[in-house]
Amino acid sequence: MSSEADMKAFAFHHRVSQFLFHEARLLDEQRWSEWEQLFTEEGTYWAPATPGQPDPINHVSLIYENALLRKVRLARFGNPNAYSLQPFPRSSHMLSNVMIDAHDEKAGTVLVTSRFLMVEYRRDVNNFFAGEYVHDLIEEGGAFKIRQKKASLVDCDGTHPSSNIYF
Amino acid sequence: MTVLIEQRRKEIDLDKLVQRDRVHRSVYTDPEIFEFEMERIWGKAWIYVGHESQVKEPGQYFTTTIARQPVVMTRHTDGKVYVLFNRCAHKGAELVGDTCGKIKEFLCCYHGWRFHLDGTLLSIPLEKGYDGSGFGREDPKSNMQRVPRFDSYRGFVFASLSKEGPDLKTWLGGVASSIDNMADRAPDGELEVTGGAFRYEHDSNWKFFVENLNDLMHPMVAHQSSSLTARIVGKKELPADKPLPSALEILSPFTESYTFFDDMGLHAFDYGHGYSGGKMSIHARYSDIPEYNARMEKAYGEERVKEIFSVNRHNTVFYPSATIKGAIQTMRVVRPIAVDKTIIESWTFRLKGAPDELLHRSILYCNLINSSANLVGPDDQEAYRRQQLGLETQGSDWITMHRDLDKDEDLGDGHTYARGSSDLAFRNQFRAWKAYMSEGGR
Repeated sequence: MSSEADMKAFAFHHRVSQFLFHEARLLDEQRWSEWEQLFTEEGTYWAPATPGQPDPINHVSLIYENALLRKVRLARFGNPNAYSLQPFPRSSHMLSNVMIDAHDEKAGTVLVTSRFLMVEYRRDVNNFFAGEYVHDLIEEGGAFKIRQKKASLVDCDGTHPSSNIYF
Repeated sequence: MTVLIEQRRKEIDLDKLVQRDRVHRSVYTDPEIFEFEMERIWGKAWIYVGHESQVKEPGQYFTTTIARQPVVMTRHTDGKVYVLFNRCAHKGAELVGDTCGKIKEFLCCYHGWRFHLDGTLLSIPLEKGYDGSGFGREDPKSNMQRVPRFDSYRGFVFASLSKEGPDLKTWLGGVASSIDNMADRAPDGELEVTGGAFRYEHDSNWKFFVENLNDLMHPMVAHQSSSLTARIVGKKELPADKPLPSALEILSPFTESYTFFDDMGLHAFDYGHGYSGGKMSIHARYSDIPEYNARMEKAYGEERVKEIFSVNRHNTVFYPSATIKGAIQTMRVVRPIAVDKTIIESWTFRLKGAPDELLHRSILYCNLINSSANLVGPDDQEAYRRQQLGLETQGSDWITMHRDLDKDEDLGDGHTYARGSSDLAFRNQFRAWKAYMSEGGR
């Protein structure tokens, strides 16, 4: 672990991890507009509803949102008539096992897999969600942007209670 | 325990619980009434099991529950569909644990008994041990037991735990036409389950969900935060001269006016069935898909296609277990778990012979409206949950069903009509509820 290449990879891994932690923190701190800014214009958020689901078009998904639908969801967060958000849920996202699966320096693209555990608390109940994140990132002007965040719950095809916020 | 429940049941005075204009809160909160419902309603009515397209080939099976009892729908080598109790004839173990799959035969995980897909016994290890014991394969109890009655209507398989009662076609009555219209929307005249399923846990009584589907006074209130927000965001973000994206076409109509929903109208039938909408609904104004229209016209001719598309229903309820939206090819299935716990499954269908865009729209609809993690379903579930909690209070024992009482229009053949804001669907479901629950009832 001493060569220059190793150090560079180590530093890159750290940068990517910090980005993932930052993204999760924005969700937990309910800094929605900053979170929204992390996506590219075409960026999607996808929570599949079956293991190994090949695409979000031919099969239902717990969530599949483009920029417009993200805007709708985030605008609804501030709506006084969003009854299932009263009281507003709080969350805590834990991330680990961060692995860079692909990195194309020239194109600036990074595919990174991690594991998450998230608790959504509302009205005396903690609901736990766990699974795998795959972040498809691109570097733009020295900063990462999300082309797709895919949150695959370990029980994505199981029975779920209502949930309103992002996994 | 059985004795205790039986004693208690004698004390349940149905006339006091369900009146023509109001219903007692305990029908949603009392665990013993729930147990009684499992026996009298869910144990008697035709309950939706699955669609024949889920067991296309011999050996395929699909598991679900009827009145909480595990059952399995199979396709046998004779080409027929069977509905069996998912229970080994030996010591009772469930024979399959997966939701669906394909097998050559049932093999019990415990002592290796094997059964054909129509439930008949295939083999028992060391079968000779039963010689002269009075137990043997000639006894029909050695087979997996079939659910007393099962039948299908245009691919939709229903089963009844009761040997007696009306046949499926008679029972469906006036709402069979909703299944017809959904299947007729396929150029090939057939539907196919595809696109996966949601299973959404509701911490509330099953009846809240079933009542809500044709409660047309709630969308503009409960879904304001999603539907109106979608309209506002759309207006701000999208060019005014471009057609709306499908997602906004789907979300926007939930906040149509009271007049719009009133005009949709309510249709009620025997056995608690009914639908809202008819000639128009919140699904009536989706964009045309030209290739689909062309294929429909080729299959049916212009006149018939006009007739098929002139029917545009919102929700059809096959009381108590199934609800469909023919115009967008989705289905929600009700599985009661406890007095305050219900699982709602959502399914999507492919119209055979139609372009893929139709299926994609059904899937998008399901994602946006029926997913537990989306913007519309959780607000419904919140309302049911608050009812479940609110009805625990001693504030009042009664829930009103008075709206437009005695203003229903009798269209003959057990078909009743009222404007959308009426409590007709609510009253009609409880009329059936009471009939099922009464001794000697359906």
